Amino acid sequence: MAINKKIIDYIDLRLGIRDLLQKNLTEYLLPRNINIWYSLGAATIALFAVQFITGIFLLIYYIPNTEQAFASVQAIMNEIPYGWLIRYLHAIGANVVVLVLLLHMLSALFMSAYKRPREFTWLFGFLIFMVTLGMCLTGYLLPWSQLSYWATTVATDTMNAVPLIGEPLLQVLRGGSAVGQYTLGRFFALHVMGLPLIFGLLVSAHLFCVRRIGVSRPPFGPDYRPWEPNDEFQHEEYPDGIPFFPNYTAEEVAVIAFFLALTTGITYFAPWIFLPSDAFTPADPFVTPEHIKPEWYFLASYQILKVFPNEFFGILVQGVIITFLLFLPWIDRTHERRPAKRPIFVALFVLGVVGFVGLTIWGHFS
Amino acid sequence: MDADVMEEKQLKRRRAVIVSLLGGIGSVLTAGILWPLWRFLNPPGTTGEEATVSIPREQVGVGQAHFFQYQGHAAVVVQNAPGEFTALSAVCTHLSCIVQWQPDKKDFLCPCHAGRFTATGKVISGPPPRPLPSYPVTVSEDVIVVG
Repeated sequence: MAINKKIIDYIDLRLGIRDLLQKNLTEYLLPRNINIWYSLGAATIALFAVQFITGIFLLIYYIPNTEQAFASVQAIMNEIPYGWLIRYLHAIGANVVVLVLLLHMLSALFMSAYKRPREFTWLFGFLIFMVTLGMCLTGYLLPWSQLSYWATTVATDTMNAVPLIGEPLLQVLRGGSAVGQYTLGRFFALHVMGLPLIFGLLVSAHLFCVRRIGVSRPPFGPDYRPWEPNDEFQHEEYPDGIPFFPNYTAEEVAVIAFFLALTTGITYFAPWIFLPSDAFTPADPFVTPEHIKPEWYFLASYQILKVFPNEFFGILVQGVIITFLLFLPWIDRTHERRPAKRPIFVALFVLGVVGFVGLTIWGHFS
Repeated sequence: MDADVMEEKQLKRRRAVIVSLLGGIGSVLTAGILWPLWRFLNPPGTTGEEATVSIPREQVGVGQAHFFQYQGHAAVVVQNAPGEFTALSAVCTHLSCIVQWQPDKKDFLCPCHAGRFTATGKVISGPPPRPLPSYPVTVSEDVIVVG
């Protein structure tokens, strides 16, 4: 114990860590009525950490070459000890991350946490979601299976519908007219380097905003009062709140443990949910498998494209929805955050969720 | 006062139990995570390899050397005199560079720090601390078997 104390004293003298930890953990107070939905951010970070670690391990044996990519993934699955575990955790973890991110965003939406003064927090968070989808799309091609090849062909092909610049854009994205070695090369570079770099910057910006402005008070309970706007920066304080550590950290650890258990549970007992048989057949550019479909989180978008008679309108509608959500804090500018006092917003929220789920199910069975 | 001391003692004991429990569970979980990662980094085929290697006899002429992979390392077989074969590790015992066969001098030279070995692996000069390890060789009519 004495040695531990000496080491901590040595570091503390130079970096003042005791003070830093005290101010950010035990003395950092959160609203007393904070709920479990607030811990989804921490769960997302934990799940992303798993993605980064398993991703680095997969990089050791993966070969980004159309001739060897599929065989290298098969070797990881069948020959390298615990390779199947690392690969499944990465592939299944990606799905769980998207699910948790969606829940995190939905809870922020429902509690109107995006409103002034937290517009930038929402903006960076929404961009994190878009980059995550980008990482999912680029990672999907890497195993070079029939599923990867054709899902990427179909997904990138929608770019053709953009007027004037669609075709040249598609050429740049694919590195040619069809999905091939150059597509694999650029998707690999984006997946392991480009997008994670942007992701890291966005997460830093998002967390900085969260910590700088302070956690938003849940808009529930008789004591809640809407935020009074002022012209100066103000960190939201909760003098009667609960400490971040250990009180809220314990709740966050429980939520993280739940999602890690979900990921490992699917990995061990039902990996087929996210890996259909086409994921185990090498890519064949001359044979398109039947009923090729994107991952579940792209199914709503896929169905919208199918519903509209013109592909361009399908893309336009999605572009409008994305832009609307991205700039929502600047569109919805009232100060009221209590869902009970915002019936139109709640109706639109429910409609949006039902629409997304409905289109996803429709896309799955169509 | 005594009650306070008792309470303090009890609190310390409780804290010690919780810390030990969390430490124990944490250690088991950490081991459970590290073990697959350790095994992942040690795939089969990089340490074991076959116990013997067969080389066609015509590949090793008299006074010549033939390099090959043996048990994951570079090895060399030399025909010193007609029908007399020696198999050695080709990894220099100094800092693990691969030794080169000098056909004119009939010895091995390490290009890194000029260590020299005889055709049977003994140190002639330079920094190598030990001779090159040798391997058993059996020769049939047209195949040399090392190992």
